[in-house]
Amino acid sequence: MITKEIIEKIEGEASVEFEIKDNLVEFATISFPHFRGIEMILNGKNALDALVITPRVCGICGHAHLMASVRAIEDAYKNAGYEIKNNQKIEKIREFTLIMEIIQNHFKWFYMTLIPELEKLHSTSLVQTPLKGAFAASLAAKAIATFAGQWPHSSYMIPGGITSDPTNIDILQVQTYLQELSLFFENETLGTSLEDFLSFESCKEFRGLNSDFSYIEEKLISLEMHEKGFAYDKFLILGKHSFTSVSKLNKTHAVGIDAKFVNTVEAYSPNQITYAKNAQYKKEYYETGPLSRMMALNFPIIKNMHRRFKDSAYSRVMARIFELAYLLKKASSLATTLTIAESSYNSVVDISKITASGLGVVEAPRGPLLHKIEIEKGIIESYKIITPTQFNIGSSSLKNPTPAQKAMQKLSKEEALFVFRTFDVCSVCTTH
Amino acid sequence: MSTSMKETSFDSLYKAFEERIEQLKKLPKMKEDSSIEQVINDNGFSRREFMIWAGGVTAMLALPSSFTPLMAEAVKVADRLPIIWLHMAECTGCTESLLRSANPSIDSLIFDYISLEYQETLMTAAGWQAEQNLENAMKKYKGRYILMVEGGIPSADTEHYLTIGGHGKTGKASAMEAAEHAAAVFAIGTCSAFGGVQAAAPNPSNAVALSEVTHKTVINVPGCPPSEKNIVGTLLHYLLYGTLPALDVFNRPKWAYRLRIHDLCERRGHFDAGEFVEQFGDAGAKDGYCLYKVGCKGPYTFNNCSKQKFNQGTSWPVQAGFGCIGCSEPDFWDTMGTVNEPIKDRLYNTTFGGLGADATADKIGIGLLTATAVGIAAHAVVSAIKPPKE
Repeated sequence: MITKEIIEKIEGEASVEFEIKDNLVEFATISFPHFRGIEMILNGKNALDALVITPRVCGICGHAHLMASVRAIEDAYKNAGYEIKNNQKIEKIREFTLIMEIIQNHFKWFYMTLIPELEKLHSTSLVQTPLKGAFAASLAAKAIATFAGQWPHSSYMIPGGITSDPTNIDILQVQTYLQELSLFFENETLGTSLEDFLSFESCKEFRGLNSDFSYIEEKLISLEMHEKGFAYDKFLILGKHSFTSVSKLNKTHAVGIDAKFVNTVEAYSPNQITYAKNAQYKKEYYETGPLSRMMALNFPIIKNMHRRFKDSAYSRVMARIFELAYLLKKASSLATTLTIAESSYNSVVDISKITASGLGVVEAPRGPLLHKIEIEKGIIESYKIITPTQFNIGSSSLKNPTPAQKAMQKLSKEEALFVFRTFDVCSVCTTH
Repeated sequence: MSTSMKETSFDSLYKAFEERIEQLKKLPKMKEDSSIEQVINDNGFSRREFMIWAGGVTAMLALPSSFTPLMAEAVKVADRLPIIWLHMAECTGCTESLLRSANPSIDSLIFDYISLEYQETLMTAAGWQAEQNLENAMKKYKGRYILMVEGGIPSADTEHYLTIGGHGKTGKASAMEAAEHAAAVFAIGTCSAFGGVQAAAPNPSNAVALSEVTHKTVINVPGCPPSEKNIVGTLLHYLLYGTLPALDVFNRPKWAYRLRIHDLCERRGHFDAGEFVEQFGDAGAKDGYCLYKVGCKGPYTFNNCSKQKFNQGTSWPVQAGFGCIGCSEPDFWDTMGTVNEPIKDRLYNTTFGGLGADATADKIGIGLLTATAVGIAAHAVVSAIKPPKE
């Protein structure tokens, strides 16, 4: 039997076609039925225009696109013989706003996607509190806006630095937003302090909590999500940051990698129109995103979870919430060690002098985001964007399924749809 | 203009609003058990804060402060109007802007309180159920719902670059159908208003504005994204007046898009004094000089960002040292590039022959929408966004 399900609430729309046998998913193909052609629009434009165009690929991770663009252009400067060395202040502020975008994404996902979706699976009704998600996400967005002018669609990063010149009052303001956000996370979401939560060594310690988080954790276990939704147990982290370890992991074994080996292949979707391509590393599929990033950092709790539950849907969800805690702490440390004495910008040669190619790689909320640019005398010759959802949620054949396709196999349709969402789908990014 | 005349005209407006609100009050509520007082209270706001907010919105819509109690009354009946929000080719940034409006601010609570019958990003239902809800809402509230559309619309031989729902209906077909039976049609964001980023050359998907696929009058609320204030303000304006707002030449509400970014810019004094940032990071940049020479398009762009700002008034691009890119103007992607350079062959005061967008605005047809007949039964899809119980 073949059935089709439309997925919403994912920044755009996706469609999953299931082949059901004995009430279980035999196989699923995924399609993204929309296309805008952003790469074609970039061609022929001034390279600096990429800084305002690419953030518009996505309303939820536009800041990651901005940073990927600026890194790609700065890489082109380097390849053209004009290396740009950004000072601590520039690097820290860019890193801070990127982290805050990941944080707002995870909050929104937790309260606006995870809880309603769990409710559908679970017979008891959960208390839905989407405004909690909106509250936390808007606090994070205000912290971004303090440096970047607005969120979504900020454009304050430029080759050579940033355009804003924050004062000590701005820094204090940002620290206040962060404190408020951390308090909210501790009191409403976790039910314990950030420090305690980050020092947990076993999943059993979650049981002592009484909070939104522990409630979700119990539900996941009672739905046996710790035994479902397994992908390849292979992870990929490509964006170089103060909060990541660039590597690929086969289970727990990590090796170094190079983003130049990322390739894309056509999606397999015989019955439905799709405009997406699948992304691979050296022609193999890897899972990307919070679980991958946390696996690479060797936290005791994550190791413990992985030993017991592998890359199950449970681990994927828990790692996203753990990453929230980890990044909140990271953001606090960035905000408190920031000194504003250095310059926000270092003069660079005019873009019209640049003829070179460049690669910009960052970690976006869902995993690696790659921008490849080719510049001819300051004008874009070609622009390629590869997004995290292309790694996680491609659509391939039964012989060689993508991580999401593999994770959905042998589950009931309802469970499969839930597992699909544990990857945190961004549809508009996927086709761009 | 004499003071007494002014008072008289506002008096009649006040009466008209009162009548409008009375009319709306007679209509059934969408959710029997909710009241705005309750929603505000449940979310930790006091009546005083609510009235301060109502005063702010009143001022934003260019009404005298004596209208504040009326604004508060209007919000109370906001749940009588069903709203359908459609996503076309876009990035969902406009929805995100609205969601980030708040702490949760009163703006977002209003969107909780009104009856959002269909909103892909916010609703609980998904898939076939969602599609069914949309069809039901359109049938049930035929001729009475407010349609808000986010995103550009692929057309011509690339219409299939956007399909929605299980039946593979194109975005264009959905938008046309929804607009046909709407009481009022709002294009939220630059994509829906003017085609947006995907309509930039060479426009691979032949994306067009909502107004190009329907014969209905479309009120454009452009911006990439528009501020939450402009989205909520547009809705409240319709609620109060029951008619289209005064529009400029591009069908933008004048209350929000009457002035240029430049006119109320915090860096305007530096422009007048001839003090410019010559290059990012120079001494002028540190002192907050005018960004015109590093590409600010504020002199050609009509919007209220310099006053309303973003993220609940936190900041806006010019404050962060990045010039306005002109995002609420039609085709700005093609006509206002390159981003970090001034438009060389266009003096700042030449827009519409120096007269500004007002020049032809009043010639544009302002079709009146009837305020009547918003008959509704409770159909609480909107329970998707219940407020948190603290």
